[in-house]
Amino acid sequence: MSVASQQYRYTPGKALVLLLALPALLIPTMVLCYIFWQAAPVLNWGFLFGTADGVGFGVTEGIFSQLVGSLLLAIMACLIAIPFALGTALYYRTFATPWQQRLLNAMFNMLQGIPPIVFGLCGLVVLVNLFSWGVSLLSGAVVLAVVVLPLLVLNTLATLERIPNEYSEAGSALGLTKGAIILRLWLPRSWLQLLTGLLLAMARALSETAPIMFTATVFSGVVWPDSIFSPVTTLQTHIFYLAQEGNEPLLISIAWGSAAVLVLLVASFGLLARLLQKLGDN
Amino acid sequence: MVVDLRHKDFPQEASAAPIESLDNQQSVVLTVEKLALSLGGKEILQQVGFSLPASGVTSVIGPSGAGKSSLLRCLNGLETGWSGSVQIDGSDIRQWRGGWDQLRRHVGLIAQKPLVFDASIRANVCFGLHGWRQRRRADELVKTSLQQAALWDEVCERLDAPATTLSVGQQQRLCIARAIAIKPKILLLDEPTASLDPRSKQLIEQSMLQLAQAIPLVCVTHDLEQAQRLKGQVIFMCDGRVIEQAASHQLFNQPQQIETREFLRWNVCDCD
Repeated sequence: MSVASQQYRYTPGKALVLLLALPALLIPTMVLCYIFWQAAPVLNWGFLFGTADGVGFGVTEGIFSQLVGSLLLAIMACLIAIPFALGTALYYRTFATPWQQRLLNAMFNMLQGIPPIVFGLCGLVVLVNLFSWGVSLLSGAVVLAVVVLPLLVLNTLATLERIPNEYSEAGSALGLTKGAIILRLWLPRSWLQLLTGLLLAMARALSETAPIMFTATVFSGVVWPDSIFSPVTTLQTHIFYLAQEGNEPLLISIAWGSAAVLVLLVASFGLLARLLQKLGDN
Repeated sequence: MVVDLRHKDFPQEASAAPIESLDNQQSVVLTVEKLALSLGGKEILQQVGFSLPASGVTSVIGPSGAGKSSLLRCLNGLETGWSGSVQIDGSDIRQWRGGWDQLRRHVGLIAQKPLVFDASIRANVCFGLHGWRQRRRADELVKTSLQQAALWDEVCERLDAPATTLSVGQQQRLCIARAIAIKPKILLLDEPTASLDPRSKQLIEQSMLQLAQAIPLVCVTHDLEQAQRLKGQVIFMCDGRVIEQAASHQLFNQPQQIETREFLRWNVCDCD
């Protein structure tokens, strides 16, 4: 019997593994199908690009301001987190002693495991109240930046680790300073992977609801933020609010519509990240 | 003519003579004294001492693990945890103005594995250029460096092509061009022709001999025939120590040390 036919032969063991694996594949697929099935009646250009008047919670109009609010928060969070992530990763790679590296590694792995709502609570106490930034775009973006920072740092570290030492030494041997090696060798070589990490961080920021509930978003009264100290409306909290009003079928279908748009948004960032990763690998 | 060294009978009258110093007539550009290096608790280099003339090739031979590559890394400042004294033109390299980065601009190092950067051929040659004087003369430096590295004729039509499209032999010559573009005082080469085809090997050796007329070259090699072809001085290292330094013809024909004779005859060394 050929190896190929052996590979495709079903045995009880294989059947058991498949049985255990199937739910992991089927359930998310079914959930996605259900979301889009429920969202289909409301998904149209008017829903995507219409804006609520700020009073009716987007019940009668579209979700454009919530979409923009979510994107604004995610973009601002990443913009705030990038320099710190890059700085931490470069410090780790160039200056940190082995014990500092172990400490940083442990710290960022631990930070990644902290429930985001804890960061939200800290943001409420420190940024909203103590710094008097209020519930605002800036407060939310800073809290989200802290949430995505470990992800960005660990991704940047993984990217820099993939640069062979010989490559850096070839630059050192030419008398390039550490700064020149980073700017002229490391960044041009790894920018695609860094961008991949950034997109994944954006997707993560778009998925977070708890940290921004306390610090950045309101359910009504605002369409567009006037400044970084204005609150925003977001898709995540919009869905949360509408889902609480579970008795009204129209509100629920709008919630499904918003959920479908959010899923598409997160998925598109994830897909783009995978595409860039593939490009970088090639 | 290249002599097969493996089964050669050397004159037996040689005694344990002291390490031969350079002819006093030649001006010395590099002096190494009592250089010692330990890595991870292991002594890699012990009391290494030798001098280099202002031009010519100095081949460093010896068994694997003798400390040859580590020696080059110390001279280039990639290893900084050594003790002893290394002087270039009478200046201690630890006291070099501008620190290790500045030193590395004066002591070029070419690794065994050619490593070109993800950029064009031209950009690779220009990578180490420093200061407006060198950058202003970039085009001229690219041409002369590639010519000196015997690569110009092959790439002059496609200087803007990615350097990664070159063959391994061409990439190694590009690394040489990149190193000489910054006008080093000394050029160190760590097995530059290992695993290259005979044609590339020949071109690199020619280029080295041409370069050696202007600056001193230190070439670590396992290829004893290559060390003979490059002439100049030969340093034999074993177990982190310099066992013998002499002119090429003398070391290969009349080695003074027993260890050297054993190594040249059997390609093994038992220095412990």
